[in-house]
Parts: sequence; structure tokens; C-alpha cells
Amino acid sequence: MSDKLIQLRLGIGAICLAAFLLLIAIPFWVTSPSNVPNIILSPIFWPNTLAIITALTGIGLVLSGLSLFSVKAPKSFNSEKNTRAFFRLSILGFIMGITILVMPSLGLVWTMMLVFSSSAFLVGTTYTKTAIICSIVLPLILYLFFAHVAGVAIPQGDYVRLP
Amino acid sequence: MKLIKKTILGAFILGLSATVALAEYPERPISMVIPYGAGGATDISARSIAAPLGEAVGKPLIMANITGAGGATGSVTIQNAKPDGYKMLFARVGSHSVNPAMKATLPYTLDDFRFVTVYEINPVACAVTPASGIKSMSDLVAKAKEGGLSYSSSGVGSLLQLAAVMVLDEFGVEDPLNTVTHIPQKGGGAAATAVLNGTVNFLCTNSSAIAGFVANGQLVPLLVTTAQPVVGFDAPTSVDLGKPALQQLVGWTGIAGPDDLPDDVAKKWGTWMQAATSNAKFREIMESRGSVIELMNPIDANAFILQQYTTFRALVDKLGMRIEG
Amino acid sequence: MSFIDNIMAGFSLVANLESFLALFVGITIGTVAGAIPGLSATMAVALTLPFTFSMTPITGILLLLGVYKGGIFGGSIPAILIKTPGTPASSATILDGYPLAEKGQAGKALGMALWASCTADLISNLALILFAGWLASFALNFGPPEFFTLILFSLTIIAGVSGESLLRGALSAMFGLLLATVGLDLIYGTQRFTFENPNMMGGLNFIAVLIGLFAIPEIIGMVWNPKADEGKSRALGNNWVTFQEYRNSFRSIVRGSFIGVFLGSIPGIGAAPSAFLSYSEARRKSKNKENFGKGELEGVAAAEAGNNGVAGATLIPLLALGVPGDVITAIILGAFMVHGLQPGPMMFLINADIIYGLFIGLIVSSVFLFFIGSIAIRGFKYVADIPRSILFPSVMVLCVYGVFAVNNNLFDVGVMFVMGWIGFFMIQYKIPAAPFLIAFILGPLLEDNFRQSMLMSGSSASILFRGPITWFFWLLTSITVFTIARAGIKTRQNDS
Repeated sequence: MSDKLIQLRLGIGAICLAAFLLLIAIPFWVTSPSNVPNIILSPIFWPNTLAIITALTGIGLVLSGLSLFSVKAPKSFNSEKNTRAFFRLSILGFIMGITILVMPSLGLVWTMMLVFSSSAFLVGTTYTKTAIICSIVLPLILYLFFAHVAGVAIPQGDYVRLP
Repeated sequence: MKLIKKTILGAFILGLSATVALAEYPERPISMVIPYGAGGATDISARSIAAPLGEAVGKPLIMANITGAGGATGSVTIQNAKPDGYKMLFARVGSHSVNPAMKATLPYTLDDFRFVTVYEINPVACAVTPASGIKSMSDLVAKAKEGGLSYSSSGVGSLLQLAAVMVLDEFGVEDPLNTVTHIPQKGGGAAATAVLNGTVNFLCTNSSAIAGFVANGQLVPLLVTTAQPVVGFDAPTSVDLGKPALQQLVGWTGIAGPDDLPDDVAKKWGTWMQAATSNAKFREIMESRGSVIELMNPIDANAFILQQYTTFRALVDKLGMRIEG
Repeated sequence: MSFIDNIMAGFSLVANLESFLALFVGITIGTVAGAIPGLSATMAVALTLPFTFSMTPITGILLLLGVYKGGIFGGSIPAILIKTPGTPASSATILDGYPLAEKGQAGKALGMALWASCTADLISNLALILFAGWLASFALNFGPPEFFTLILFSLTIIAGVSGESLLRGALSAMFGLLLATVGLDLIYGTQRFTFENPNMMGGLNFIAVLIGLFAIPEIIGMVWNPKADEGKSRALGNNWVTFQEYRNSFRSIVRGSFIGVFLGSIPGIGAAPSAFLSYSEARRKSKNKENFGKGELEGVAAAEAGNNGVAGATLIPLLALGVPGDVITAIILGAFMVHGLQPGPMMFLINADIIYGLFIGLIVSSVFLFFIGSIAIRGFKYVADIPRSILFPSVMVLCVYGVFAVNNNLFDVGVMFVMGWIGFFMIQYKIPAAPFLIAFILGPLLEDNFRQSMLMSGSSASILFRGPITWFFWLLTSITVFTIARAGIKTRQNDS
């Protein structure tokens, strides 16, 4: 991406965000009591101010983008590689989502073992044995430390409870 | 509808756990949620009782601070916890009587909890700086009627806010919400600092929070809400001033579980707390901070909290302080 | 009692094995805890507190102070090695520390962090001893209007950490300010973007946002392009910081220490803004301005001096007024009170021996910090040798444990993941992360103090100009904004 394209996209994005905030998000999701004596004390004053400044920043970005010369950025990777990269990213996103979902029932330690091994293989580690050993040992060591030294209530899950 | 669903679900879980799990409670460590941050009154109280209580329980207690939204974030985790007695809450005056009285949008009510004990009472004191020239409650009230008086609190819906309003109301200041300015701060420490640096004129808070400033002569106490005088506070009590209704205005710390906590679990907590609060070192630590150790059994605790809540709620409704949004 | 008598009495209190042992153990615990992301200095101090109940007052308090100081330094270790700040205060250290580690100069960066930390610590302690009374009464002049102007000035730091485009920096700051509005309103207690979710009512957890913004995007970037760093040396090597390099950065270190002392003595600001302010000042004054953010040793020195300069100074309001400036000093105040001591003006009269004992202990602690820090660096240096495909999954696991431990809340782990994707997006679009963070810290302070001022004055803006302190900061802000604007116009002219 060229600098021009970045500035333009960001600028338009910022303006859209500001419009969304001013028209939808702030009216609906910020509640303000009816008896506020002065507008500057109202809970919506600050978010509105921020939204307006965001819009101004967006306009500034668009203008500065327009004034830049468009330099064709060298394409650094071919499209097949690109598709693969996106595929890996979506798997990572999937891993993160699953982590949040299963952690309460499976327990933090077991979930982390799965997270470690899956993400290590996602980045194609060449140290297979180390990865497997670490995926088991590291969450256990951290559990021992956090639960027994620092006294943190690490979630245990419903199936296998650690001492 | 939601309530019915919850009750049915609760009864179902209760039946299930009563038949299966409660062979010998406790058989594993119990996690105790502290809904306020490290270093605060609740945290110190909880961590001080942790050692003697752990001995009485016979299993480790795992302390977990879950802070946010004036104690609401931590309290919700107990509201939604399994009623097996393995997840309990250190409840506090702010999270369980002031907040429910003041906030319409609070995600829980008092009915969502079952209190197994209240073990600590903190007297409330009102104080000003020596430089303010205010020497007694009548000076303060006179200044309030004149206009331009302000007080600090640790946030909207905190004991500090309610305490100041309740005191002013009791002393006959009309419409204290509009004649006296409330300047909320972030946390109890900041609230005391606001009085010291002259941002506001006075505050009403737990005596332990300002004991140091009073001892150092930086703050002058005007009133303590208990019937008994508080050590180190050279100020009249609420009874001396003829306002016995202010005796309701005290801070407390207790322990609560979800509302469908089984009876035998609650009973066990009663005996454990008996042993824990008689520990000499615990008493010494708490009393050095100005707390009064007063153990209540589950029934008394529930009644005490409900009564305080009702008093607060009546005041909130009378003055229109409830936060609806 | 005369001054000399007090010092002698202090000596007799401290000069025993127990006190030094407490200090030593404290710094060790603090350094290790600080080096573990999520287990911040605050938590380490809170966990140590119950152990001090049975000690003599001076031993117990020295133990806590040791943990505090060790924790603030320890935070810089993961900041440099794995781009994960151990404590919020060390997030400014990332800006140049991590690029140095990427270049295979982690040893140099860690060494400089240690030297800067110890120097700043010493200056801060001396400031406490010499100027406690004066600084404390000065700090009491800071009401909401003064805070508002100070924070407005601090927001100009954003220009210093924006990198190549000021506008993108500003956009980043706006994101941070907007995200910081989530939670309950300070004045009315109403909901702002909380969606009735109790986890959001307290606002987004700062450490979750911080780690999400810095550490997770690295992991996502690694997944995006696993082979990007092949052949790059990341070993710690033998390149230790030289005395010449220390001398070159000495000005920045001293400046950072004084910024730390100043901000530390005012209750309620904390170490992170101080580190960023020190960093941006060092960059502004430096000849190698362009190299900042790409691995400039002086940047590490300035950031670490800024955050360690706070450590001694936060004790100024605590000891002189009994006012805790942040959570850590609030816990230490608790330790005083358990022993029946009431910090404040009277303590200098009644318990002067304890005060002077503490002072002596603090001076010693700077020396201890140097030795323990050196050992810690040698121990942690192996992290730099771990292959990236093993290191990054480990960092992810460590971050999940750490972020969970901060508030025992699974929701925060989710916040961290989401922030990670936002951070990755920001890297792709060349938006700097540091302005986001500064705005996220300072935004709520700015808003709250503004509204508190308005409440005080009955909505009259004239209160924002009361007294010399507000005028001073207005002046400072306008000068800085003017300089930034002029520099911006200049570069624009040079470009075209």
C-alpha cells in the first residue's frame, strides 16, 4: 500500500467512525440524565467532542492523502502466499475465539496446552519435539506459579482438576 | 418471567447439588471474591481474616480481587456462581446496600445473595480541614444553607455520597442535592485528598480512612455516626447530637454466597466465622484500623443489611437520587 | 532531637541483618514478579503485604518498598525481550527497547535500562529525603484545574511518539480516547457504551489493553508471515552497555529522573505518563531524533529513568501528608497503619527514627537494585535465544495467564485478543500504538478533572486559569503546540 492510499483510507474510515458515533452510538448507547444543569457537564459532552475531533482528523488525513503523490508500492508477496496468510490468520482468530468459549468448562491449563500446540504448528515450527514438550510443561509451570505462589484463582474447569 | 426461570433453575441446581456434591463440604479450596482493589478497606479486611478463617475451614482460601463499577463486577460473578459454597463473596456496604438503593441499572439486587455473616462494622465520620473555619455540625449546616458548600465521594453510588446526603438531610438542610455540590472522585483516597487540598469542604467516610489525617491534625472530625465514641476522634456521636437515625449509617464487611446457597453451608460458615473472629491477631489488626468486630449469624446479617438498605432506599426515593440511566 | 540524632537513631533501626535481608528479598521478589507480564508491581506488593504483619514496622515496610522498586525495574525485562510490558510503567521502554532486541542488542538495552533505573532511583530517593516537605506542600496545590492543565500539557507527548505522520498519531490518540470512555460516567454514574454488561461497567482493563496492543500483534504478525525473521540474529550476545554510552545518555537520565520526581510527588498520576514524558523530552532534545523508535539506546534510558524516578517520589505525599499517590502506596499505607503508624506531618516528629531509617534503607535499595538487576538480566538473557516459533506461542500463553491474573476475569482475556487484532490492523496501516496508549491513560483523567473543575466553579471556565500553576501549564502547552506546528510546516516545505 502506498502512503497516499493509507492516508485516504484512514481518513475516510475516521470520518465514517465519527459519523457512526455521532448519529448512532452516542445517542443510543450513552445515557444521560434529564436534569443535567449544563451541557458541558453532561455524560455525552466528552464523547461528542471526541467524535468531532476524530472527524476533523479524518478530514486532515484525506487532505494530506490527496496532496501526496501516488507511489506504486512494490508488491512484496504473490497472491497465493497472500491467501495462505489470510487462511492462517483466520485460524488464529478461530483459536482465540474457541479459547474464550471453552476456557470456563475446560479450565485454563488444559486450554492453554491446546493453544500452545496449535499456534506453534500454525507458524510451522521446525522444533516439533520442543513444541510438544513446551506445550505441556509451560502451562503447568505457570499454573504452579500463579496458583500456588501468587495465590491466583486459576479457573479449573469441570473435568480434570489440578491440585 | 426471568425471576421464575431463575427460581426453577436455582431449585433444580439446589436439588442436584444437595444430593450429589454435599457429602463433606468443603472438600477442595474455596475461592473468595473481593470486589474491590488491593489496599482498600475491603481488601485489607478480607486478607486479614483469610489466615484465621483458612485455619477454621481446614482448606485453603483463594483470594481473588475482581474490581470495577463500585464492586458490581465482582459481585456479579457470585450472583452467577454455582451455589455449592466454593465461590463466596466479601460483600461491602457500598456494593450491597448503597449501590442497590441508588442504581436502577445494577445487574443484581439484594435477593440474589444469601449473606452468611457480617463480621466488621466501620463507624462513619464527617470531617473538614482546620483551615475551613468550620468547627461543628451547626457551622456546617449554617454554611450549607448559605450555599457554596461541597463534598467529595469515592464515586457515584458510593457510601461516601449517600453518607454526606443523609447527614445533611438529617440536620435539616433542605434539598441537599441541589444546594450542596457533590464532586465525585475516583476512589476513597482521592476523596480525602480533595478535602485536604481544598477542592471540597467536607466528606463523610469510614473513620478508618481518615484516622491518620485526624491524628495528624490535618482534618477535624465533626461527627461520628455510632452511638459510642470512636477512639482518636474527638467529635460528638450521633446520639449526642440527637440524631439517632444516623446510627444506620455505618460501613460493614460480610460474606455472601448466591441466594440459593444451602442451609448447611451457611451454618458451617457461621461456626467458622465464630472461630476466625475470635483470633487475637485478627482483632488486633482490625481494631488498630478503627473497625469494630461484631459477628452476626446468617439471620441477623440478612436482617441488618435489609434494614440498612430500606433506610437508604427511603432516603434515595425521597430526594430523587436514584440513577436510572 | 537534632538532625544528626535522627540519622543515628535511624541507623540503629536499620543497621541489622533483618532489614537488609528484607530489602534484598523484596527487590528479588519484585524483579521476578515485574518480569512476569500481568503480575505487576502492584500485585506483588499486595501479595507481600500479609507477610509484613508479623515483622517490625521498619523491616516490613522496607520489604514492601523493595518489592515496589524491583517490580518497576523488572517490568522492563519483558518489555525489551518480548514486547510485553511487565508493568504499565514500562510500556515506554518498548518503543526503543524492543527494536534493539530485534537488532540483537537486547543485552545493551537491558544494561542501559538497569543503569538508568538505578540512577533515577537514587535521584528520586535523594529528592524524597531533601525536599519531601517542600514538594508535598506544592503537591497539595494541585486541584482539578491544575490537574487539567498538567494533563493537557502531557497530551502533547503524543506528537513526540507519533513517528512519521502526526495525523496518524492523532488518529491513534483519538481511538485511545474513545475507547477510554467505556464505563460508568464519573459524575452521574450513567452507562457509556457498556451494553449493560457488568464486565464493561468498570471500563476496559488497562493491562489487557496494553498487552493486547503490544504483544499480541507480534504473534499475529508471526502467523501472517512466519518466515519474516529468518536469519536475523536475536541473541543477546556479549554486547553490554559501555560507560561511554551511559555518559551520552546521562542528560536524558537526569532529566527523566526529575520529571519522575515531579510527577511522582503529585498524587494520582503514576509512572506511565512520566516515562512517556521523559521519553518524548529526550527525543525532542536529541540529535538522533530520527533514530528514536527504531532502536535508540537513549530512548530506553529516558523511559526507564522516567518510571523509576517516580518510585521514591511517590513516598513524598505518603510520608509528608499521609496521602497515597497510587495503588501501591495505598497498600504501603495499609502496612504503616497495621503497625499503628500514621504517616503525615506528625510522624516526622513522633517517629522520626523510623522515617530516617526508611531513608537510609532507600539509599541502600538503589545499590541492591543494581546487583540484583544485573543477576536477573543474566538469568533472563536466554529468552533471547529461544527460536521464535517456540517463543511466540509461549508469549501468548504467558499473556493469557498474566491478563487473567490481573483481575481474575476471563472477559479481560477477550479484551486482550480483540485489542491484538486492532493493534495488528494499526501496524498494517502504519498507525503508531504509543499515542493510543497515552491517550487511553490520560483521557479519563483529562475529562474527570475538567468536569470536576466545572462542578467546583458552577460551569465557569475562569477556574481553569486560577493561580500561577495553571498559567504555567497553559504557557508550556502553547509553546509546545507552537513548536510542533512550526516543525510540521517545515517538514512539509522540505518535502515539496
